Amino acid sequence: MPARPVAPPAGGLGWANLGMDIVSVNRVRRLLAQYGERFFERMLTPGELADCRTATGLDVLSLCGRIAAKEAAFKTLRVRGRFLPWPDIVVRRSDGGWPLVELHGSAAEMAAGSGIAEITVSISHDVDYAVAVAAPIIAPTPPAQPS
Amino acid sequence: MADGLQQIKNWILERHPERQDIAPDLDLIENRLIDSLSFVEFVFLLEQESGVSIQMETLEVEVIRSLGAIERHFFPAQVEVQA
Repeated sequence: MPARPVAPPAGGLGWANLGMDIVSVNRVRRLLAQYGERFFERMLTPGELADCRTATGLDVLSLCGRIAAKEAAFKTLRVRGRFLPWPDIVVRRSDGGWPLVELHGSAAEMAAGSGIAEITVSISHDVDYAVAVAAPIIAPTPPAQPS
Repeated sequence: MADGLQQIKNWILERHPERQDIAPDLDLIENRLIDSLSFVEFVFLLEQESGVSIQMETLEVEVIRSLGAIERHFFPAQVEVQA
């Protein structure tokens, strides 16, 4: 059996490994009904949950969008053997409504290790699904030292 | 197989009706039986069945990669000590 091809590592000049994810509204609605908000407290920070809250409770489409964005952002890091560090990839709504990604803790460490300074995401949703695509912003390479 | 581990196996099988069984050494991650979203639910269930508090941030993939690994880490055999 041939060996699998080896993908270039994350980061590096000229490389921007995209991440994408899709989340089913039905699936998240079931989780919300079965476990309540506490389930999502393991995945979203209080600020993120506040962004998803409306006068009538948590907006499921917004939840799905946040979840998809975190997963998409994580995929750009291209790390092996790690689970998505949910609370360390924070997706907040900025002035104007665009999502902004903040990397904390282990996510920031993984990004630094992959040569990634920041991650930008875009989220979209319709009735049944939310999708997100993420692109890494590569950390500037330090100038070469004169020999 | 411990009852708790059987519950874990049943939970995975319920979500993958195309499977009849799950071998103890089957890679649950590589075979996409657990994804990021179901992982959170899986951790809930694993805590409930094993009685072990799990920090998702520090959980290593290897300890839940297969049913065998889950059994070793979360359902170690009860050893009866003879007086």
